[in-house]
Amino acid sequence: MKKELDRRTFIKLTGTASGALLVGTHIWSCKDEKLPAEQYEFSPLIKIDSEGWITLIAKNPEIGQGIKTSLPMILAEELGADWNKVKVEQADFDEKYEEQWAGGSFAIILNWDLMRTAAAKARQVLIEVASKRLNKPINELIARNSRIEHPQSGEGIPFAELLQEASKLSAPEEVEFKSVDSYEIIGKKTPQVDMDELLNGKAIFGLDVQVPDMCYATVLKNPVHNGGVGKFDGAAARSVSGVLDVVELNNQEYGGRLIGPNSPNFVNGIAVIANNTWAAFKAAKLLNVKWDNSTSRRENTEQIFQRFHQQLADTTIERSDGNTERAIRNATTTFEAIYELPFLAHVPMEPMNCTVDFRTDHCEVWAPTQNPKALEEGLIRLFKLSPEQITIHLPRIGGAFGRRYYVDYAMDAAILSKKMGRPVKLCWTREEDIKHDWYRPASVHKMVAGLDGEGKVTAWKHVLANASRKTSLGREGNPAGTEIDEYEFPAGFVPNLQLEYGHVLSDVPLGQWRAVGHSATAFSALCFLDELAVLNQADPIAYFLDFLGEPRMVPVVDDYEYDASRLIAVVEKVRDNSNWGSSLPKGWGRGFAASKHSGSFVAEVVTVAVDTNEKIRVVSVDAVVDCGIVVNPSGAAAQVEGGILEGLCAALYGEITIKDGVSEQSNFNDYRWMRMEESPEIKVEFIANELPPRGLGEPPLPPAAPALANAIFAATGRRIRKLPINKPALP
Amino acid sequence: MPTYQLTINSNKVTVEADPDTPLLWILRDHLGLTGTKYSCGVGICGSCTVHYNGNAVRACSFPIANVEEGEILTIEGISEKNSTALRAAWKALDVPQCGYCHSGQIMSATALLAKNPKPSKAEINTAMSGNICRCGTYSRIQRAIELAANNLDG
Repeated sequence: MKKELDRRTFIKLTGTASGALLVGTHIWSCKDEKLPAEQYEFSPLIKIDSEGWITLIAKNPEIGQGIKTSLPMILAEELGADWNKVKVEQADFDEKYEEQWAGGSFAIILNWDLMRTAAAKARQVLIEVASKRLNKPINELIARNSRIEHPQSGEGIPFAELLQEASKLSAPEEVEFKSVDSYEIIGKKTPQVDMDELLNGKAIFGLDVQVPDMCYATVLKNPVHNGGVGKFDGAAARSVSGVLDVVELNNQEYGGRLIGPNSPNFVNGIAVIANNTWAAFKAAKLLNVKWDNSTSRRENTEQIFQRFHQQLADTTIERSDGNTERAIRNATTTFEAIYELPFLAHVPMEPMNCTVDFRTDHCEVWAPTQNPKALEEGLIRLFKLSPEQITIHLPRIGGAFGRRYYVDYAMDAAILSKKMGRPVKLCWTREEDIKHDWYRPASVHKMVAGLDGEGKVTAWKHVLANASRKTSLGREGNPAGTEIDEYEFPAGFVPNLQLEYGHVLSDVPLGQWRAVGHSATAFSALCFLDELAVLNQADPIAYFLDFLGEPRMVPVVDDYEYDASRLIAVVEKVRDNSNWGSSLPKGWGRGFAASKHSGSFVAEVVTVAVDTNEKIRVVSVDAVVDCGIVVNPSGAAAQVEGGILEGLCAALYGEITIKDGVSEQSNFNDYRWMRMEESPEIKVEFIANELPPRGLGEPPLPPAAPALANAIFAATGRRIRKLPINKPALP
Repeated sequence: MPTYQLTINSNKVTVEADPDTPLLWILRDHLGLTGTKYSCGVGICGSCTVHYNGNAVRACSFPIANVEEGEILTIEGISEKNSTALRAAWKALDVPQCGYCHSGQIMSATALLAKNPKPSKAEINTAMSGNICRCGTYSRIQRAIELAANNLDG
């Protein structure tokens, strides 16, 4: 739903009960006995009441990245709020909040100035009022602990006593941000704002939403990728007590299944609606379906990889520096390696679900989604609604990792609620979640290097072939989307460099996974560099540092350059922290990798122990991160720990295989995730600086898998060129 | 449809349900106790862990017909000293990320401390091995259990 905002107004008295609201530059002040306190809205993000409570709006979806805590921390810091008297409220989806999505490690990057500007304006207005009241010059006043203070005299006034006068002022045109060295909230370890509710079961995740008169639903999708609906007999399902209806979900009725996050259609299947989830689950198993699979390629994993390998010879050049072919011909030594990476699922702990109340002219949605804008667009497209007819609430989300960038499950729920004429809570089973994910694309990488007589890399070629997430479902009419970016490392570091992409069409549904394409390209490039180091009998970290060269800005593409000095600094630091080079027990090894992603630099050293049965145990991981200013050191370290563990888990076990068009995995027994006893000790250090904060959800992931593979080589002499390292054992 | 008398978080409740309905869905859909989570549905991830007569059990694989006389405790109902200490440690170490698995993690950890007040790291790993955390909070969970055990001891 969109609300028109008058841009001229700044502070509004909103009251705390409905009805007490007036918008205008000059505020109509009313003392209603029923209202506990008068609340003034300084921006859509900041409300302060006359009892001193500050309400900050958390605008982005909380998927476990801690954004519901960190964005309000930025507001509170710049405002000078007392964090102990701050309440954080989750926003609904609304255009007034601007960019409202979770993905690409962008939330802090995109909101840093937005948060600081909103809060600085409010602070400056409060200071203006206090300046008059205290008769002190503005430049001698500061805001802290929800007070405007005059440090020289010790005088001060609480925000709460300045509100009414402040509301008569207009917003300052220019803002001045606080200096980093005065920060008291940013940089302080802060537990999640929902902590108490998370620990007593009261936090409301998507699946926990309860709406009066709602019914429950689940789906059985055609397991064959890109299959149709076909015929079904729902009699047995309908006979389960509690079942209300069995409904076909046919995407042809809604324009067909399209690709990508901005094309929010759904997978063909059948839904069961019941008066409890269990009845729906039980009935879905009794559906007797003859699926129409005439539209599917009915692929197998082996075939798909065969086609990738063939496509390595038929590519498009995405970037060419110098003359790579000639440099390879003229090289003293050439070296080549091919790496293979599998399809990966997201498996967030909370399976796909959505609650929708869709009656005649209004659609209210409780959506665990990373991408509410795409959800709104989907509802507009599928049901011909206008934005005013749509309300999207954003409950907490039990993990996303890129899966919830796609809103197919929400479309399912909307169709069902509309059909039933009452609220529906849709819950996919874990099996449907894994079989109908938007997988990390599998890929094959051919790496070629030319070296001079001293072992220095003079030519670098990275050829990637796969089915692209950008043309997921492989419709022939869609333009091929490259999976190798023109700024891929080591672009800028090697005089002769060529990046090539070979595109293959496939029915396998593909999408964003944590760190997206970099999860695969970094593995190939950083394992390959380790191989080159070994080829030259060099220490891998020394070789990497030599490869980076002098500390300098390395132009990569327009508006994108590597600050080699920041990358060098994290590498040197992790070398020291990990005691790199010191002796290890027999069968142990250390591996190293480092990269830049979303503006942040991460270097990691993985230590493994491999026993005589080739069983691999990750002993420890050392990570050093430069992401600029660290907003919440506790949450930031959690992102690093989580990103590393995800990279390790996927490298060890992660693989979706396809047989006859069907994903073979279905639950945690065959899509294995690390258990506690396998979890290594992870030590994280942040480089302290005053640079603007950059992304952190994704950057720790790309180095983890290559550092692990390089460690296994160091321990055993066995090169890992194909993931996963271990095929998961079936229980 | 049969009816069942249950004691949940010290409250006596009567529910009408099919005998094969797992306790998980009785809690969530019939009683509105949504703190107990659905994730795998087959008893291998631990998100739905509750206590049944003091033992940690997987509610998703526990049919209502098998819930005989006995006390069921869920995350909303545990309040004895072990759970209080664990929650304090969880908060001190800012353990959860998405938080979805942590009802189950805390239920498993509480059952562990009730039987073994001073578990070794290996014992913690064994007791917690049935609880998956997808976000990667394992090492913080380990440290939180150790911290809670130490605080209870002292």
